[in-house]
Amino acid sequence: MPYILNTKEDVKEMLRAIGASSLEELYSLLPSKVKLDVPLNLPTSKSEQEVKRIVKELSEKNNPIEKYNSFLGAGCYDHYIPAALPFILSRSQFLTAYTPYQAECSQGILQAIYEYQSFLCLLTDMDVSNASLLDGASALSEAVLMSLRITKRKKVLLVGAIHPEYKETLYTYLSGFDFIIQEVEPGDDGLVDKEAVKRAIDDDTASCLFSSPNFFGLVEDVNELSVIAKSRGSLSIMLTNPLSLAVFKEPGSLGVDIVCGDGQPLGGGLNFGGPSFGFLTVKKDYLRQMPGRVVGKTKDREGNEAYCLTLQAREQHIRREKATSNICSNQSLNAIAAAIYLSLIGRDGLKDLALYSLSNTQYLYQRLKEVRGVRIPYSPCVFNEFVWETEDAPRIIEELYKKNIIAGYYIGVKLDQYKNSILSCCTEKKSKEEIDSFVNTLAEILHG
Amino acid sequence: MDKKVIFDKDKNFQKSSYFKKPEVPLAKVEDIFPKRSLRSSLPLPNLGELDVIRHYLHLSELNFSVDTNFYPLGSCTMKYNPKINEDLAHLDGFTNIHPFQDSQDVEGALELIYNLEELLCEITGMKRFTFQPSSGAHGELAGMLMIRKFHETKGNIKTKVIIPDSAHGTNPATASMCGYQIQVIESNSDGLIDTGKLREIIDDSVAAIMLTNPNTLGLFEEDILTISDIVHSKGGLLYYDGANFNPLLGITKPSLMGFDLVHLNLHKTFSTPHGCGGPGAGVVGVGEALEDFLPVPLVKKDQDKFCFDYEVRHSIGRLRSFYGNFGVLVRAYAYILRLGGDGLLRVAQNSTLSANYIKEKLKNYYQVAFPKKCMHEVVFTCQSQKERGASAFDIAKRLIDFGIHPPTMYFPLIVKEALMVEPTETESKQTLDYFIQTMIDIDKEISLDCEKVKTSPHLAPVKRVDEVKAARFPNLKWEKPGV
Repeated sequence: MPYILNTKEDVKEMLRAIGASSLEELYSLLPSKVKLDVPLNLPTSKSEQEVKRIVKELSEKNNPIEKYNSFLGAGCYDHYIPAALPFILSRSQFLTAYTPYQAECSQGILQAIYEYQSFLCLLTDMDVSNASLLDGASALSEAVLMSLRITKRKKVLLVGAIHPEYKETLYTYLSGFDFIIQEVEPGDDGLVDKEAVKRAIDDDTASCLFSSPNFFGLVEDVNELSVIAKSRGSLSIMLTNPLSLAVFKEPGSLGVDIVCGDGQPLGGGLNFGGPSFGFLTVKKDYLRQMPGRVVGKTKDREGNEAYCLTLQAREQHIRREKATSNICSNQSLNAIAAAIYLSLIGRDGLKDLALYSLSNTQYLYQRLKEVRGVRIPYSPCVFNEFVWETEDAPRIIEELYKKNIIAGYYIGVKLDQYKNSILSCCTEKKSKEEIDSFVNTLAEILHG
Repeated sequence: MDKKVIFDKDKNFQKSSYFKKPEVPLAKVEDIFPKRSLRSSLPLPNLGELDVIRHYLHLSELNFSVDTNFYPLGSCTMKYNPKINEDLAHLDGFTNIHPFQDSQDVEGALELIYNLEELLCEITGMKRFTFQPSSGAHGELAGMLMIRKFHETKGNIKTKVIIPDSAHGTNPATASMCGYQIQVIESNSDGLIDTGKLREIIDDSVAAIMLTNPNTLGLFEEDILTISDIVHSKGGLLYYDGANFNPLLGITKPSLMGFDLVHLNLHKTFSTPHGCGGPGAGVVGVGEALEDFLPVPLVKKDQDKFCFDYEVRHSIGRLRSFYGNFGVLVRAYAYILRLGGDGLLRVAQNSTLSANYIKEKLKNYYQVAFPKKCMHEVVFTCQSQKERGASAFDIAKRLIDFGIHPPTMYFPLIVKEALMVEPTETESKQTLDYFIQTMIDIDKEISLDCEKVKTSPHLAPVKRVDEVKAARFPNLKWEKPGV
């Protein structure tokens, strides 16, 4: 049998030591009513060769994104990943290790996570990062729960354009409580309607949550939004694409209290949307209310530098029902991947990556603007994606798709009032030729 | 030994040009965005590729892992992670698909999820599965929110969730996140749920009981059918925490034990690697009563096509973005195919065999917390060793010197000086014998040279780590020297 090393003789000998006559006897304490009297109705075991064939065939039924000229983003971005990254990650001593509760035999994991925390703090200019959460949407939900605990208030403001799946997740996470979620729709310019936020915010508002870049790709006035949040003693929570922080001002210096998001753009593949990882960085005042694991640097008994998981009194395995969250397993390997990725590409690489993505996006924006029948509703203050509109958008998307072009994410899927809106993204992987081909094909479809 | 963090190795190296410069004009960000919104400095290190490779490969060498060390960590099921699963999970057709691609472009991924659902339904006796939950605790959250909505929809007023004192910490933490009060039920002298006590505390306000079976003492809850009757008779539901499902594969199904819903940790029972603490998957299966409450989307087959299904009547909504940790699902699917029904039964039996073997061989040296026949794990209480001067903690640390990862310590909370040992089915008798002998040697050493045990480990990359200092003076990130 695959993966089981005991021989028949081993089994016999072990049974003898236990004083049991058969493997079945090990289960003698189970009431007969719960025992299966027929074997599971599953196929029998297969050779590795057969399994490979079956699963590979399934994979070949998919069309990898590279078969298309794709402009899909919307929370999952197609970036180039240096070969060295998967090479390091395949090391068994990262891949097959458990959570580093036992510090002395996990120093490498712990240091790598400490480095991850440091990278995220540097990018966001915050004091503390946890060791990762499950994804961007759950990180956002945990950030909001954290703000409710800190302020002991009841209301959360979701302002401006936020990823619809993230909002749906937040509603689910909060459904067990009697908290109030109030949404403030974006203004006509696609940005947060600040006047509406000022009207909505009150003394019971725990936090004001916005996204920058927002779901439409637009960069918000982070500082002013934080000022508005603080005017009523609420916390300012910012959802962001961490790659954008290579270009844009670090949120910590703009008054943001909690930064969160999905780390996929930092070296994560598409992976059909998962695994990636969620990140959460906070100001040090809020450390004790932060969910998730965190690694600290300390000393060993001889005074040498060492690392360990710390501040565990916040966590479920110690605090149980009074814990800051139920989170246990996180996305450690993906977080470590981000640290390795940032180390590999370095500060210059990260700047290039952000600037190249942004440049391609600006180019597409300007080109699309020239196409008759295309309307671009918002300003070009976007990072790596933006919204454009055309009559009969679903049909146009379909026509482009027939010509091997994936125009982007159709916003009308979720939101009726955006039935003509498409969100298109460019990463550094887009060539000028591909962008031109998209624009020219679109013009042909629109005008024959 | 080089202990520098990556930031202290900054060489101001010239950029390594991983990315192709675009043919389009480079944007002048100052012309597009207001200056106050732009970053002025990005203090990350610049290193060469070989520097980075050496740094992280060196770090990897400081860790124990399943591939390099015996890892008898109770309740964590640290079994071998087959390499074919890694190969398959990394196929281009799986890693290189976007979650918003048209369903006809991801037909194979949807079919895989559909097939995996069918397999897991047969294994557990449940009707449907959701694959969104990305960890065990996430699965618990999905499950308990479904229970909550189930009761709300029926107009039941339920305020409490019953949880045994031996439960994983995630259980009470989750129930609390779902707005429930926790009622703890104490274990009886056999280490099992006391059905008499359960009858006393059960009433109409109980939404559910959360159970692990076998429980965290490694014992099968023999009265499970009575427990099921008691809870169901008051309109409560039975939640199955599948963290310990490994020894029951092909032996029983949660449905036969009366459970209404189940979460499975694919990173435990179904062999996907732990990756230093994640990614995992805590997929949740439900019986008929809860089908209408599952998170969206599900995967359905429409004639011969697979697609997402958003039509779930009372869905609790969405637990995360996209569809879950898909890469983990690929690995679990390959694992089940490889083992088949016959193989899964062998997995269960051998995991139980190994734990009982260790229990028998060590019981004269380390007291077994509850002497009944165990399932896949056994809990020892090191009180006699403690009386001789070395705690469970000391013993755990001493094991590191022998290349063995410590068992789970001080858990479950109801056992003093607990060491919880889960060998798993993938370890050979020779490895188990080595562990047993090492434990016996340590027991002797406590009498002969206790100090050696108390000051262990001696051969690890660092000596015993000062965790108190770490919590008292938190140093949680690198600071630029001189700042």
